[in-house]
Amino acid sequence: MSDFRQSQNEAHPNKTNILLTGIILLLILFVTIQIWFLFGALNNALQENLNFAITTAVGSLAFAFASFWLLRYLPEPIKNSKKK
Amino acid sequence: MSKDNREEIPQWKQDFPIQQKEATHVSRREFAKFLTLLSGALAVGNTAIVVKSLAFPEKPLVGEHPICLESEVAEGESFQFEIQGSKTIPYLLINLGEGEWRAFEQKCTHLSCAVKYRHDIGQIECPCHKGYFNPRTGNVIQGPPPRPLPQLEVVIREGQVFVKAQNT
Repeated sequence: MSDFRQSQNEAHPNKTNILLTGIILLLILFVTIQIWFLFGALNNALQENLNFAITTAVGSLAFAFASFWLLRYLPEPIKNSKKK
Repeated sequence: MSKDNREEIPQWKQDFPIQQKEATHVSRREFAKFLTLLSGALAVGNTAIVVKSLAFPEKPLVGEHPICLESEVAEGESFQFEIQGSKTIPYLLINLGEGEWRAFEQKCTHLSCAVKYRHDIGQIECPCHKGYFNPRTGNVIQGPPPRPLPQLEVVIREGQVFVKAQNT
């Protein structure tokens, strides 16, 4: 018996693919910006520029929370329901 | 994406597959989770910098430190010394001639290579990436260093060279 989920998957076979690719691209973007922040903070901390370190730390934490939040939208693998 | 036999295997067992191909396979879901962990680790690292700066601030140099005799460093020569503090920092004492003395941290502000004074060109040189500093001010003349060299004040008293923190 088919259900809503199965119908959706059959009607939009690329959906999982696009979602996963989008999430991974967003995560790569977040991580890239965080590396940039970290590099800047390391360089500026040497010059005792604490404000810059605090700003980048807050930004980096925000990106980390956003990354964890994005995992909510990670699609489940499509189960092979024909088997049973 | 998922194999038929994968669904029969409990989740905890999927981390210990029998086939080598399954062990080396990284699914896109796993890759996304790895990126998220990396993101968390970077945030922790960035926060650690702030915590370190707040909890363990670098202590400024206190008092005068005797380095050497004035006669030991000829004109145009430099003398390397270290000062023990919260950490040991190498410094470079330079006799520029005509009573002008300077002391700079010997670590290049680019990647911490040891800098040296070159009297023939009248500049402090970092040999690693060809960074050049002004031997009077410590300012960057050329090359990749982002900041001037940290400087100490030099005091000459009775033929003895002392250094102390700069009053700026």
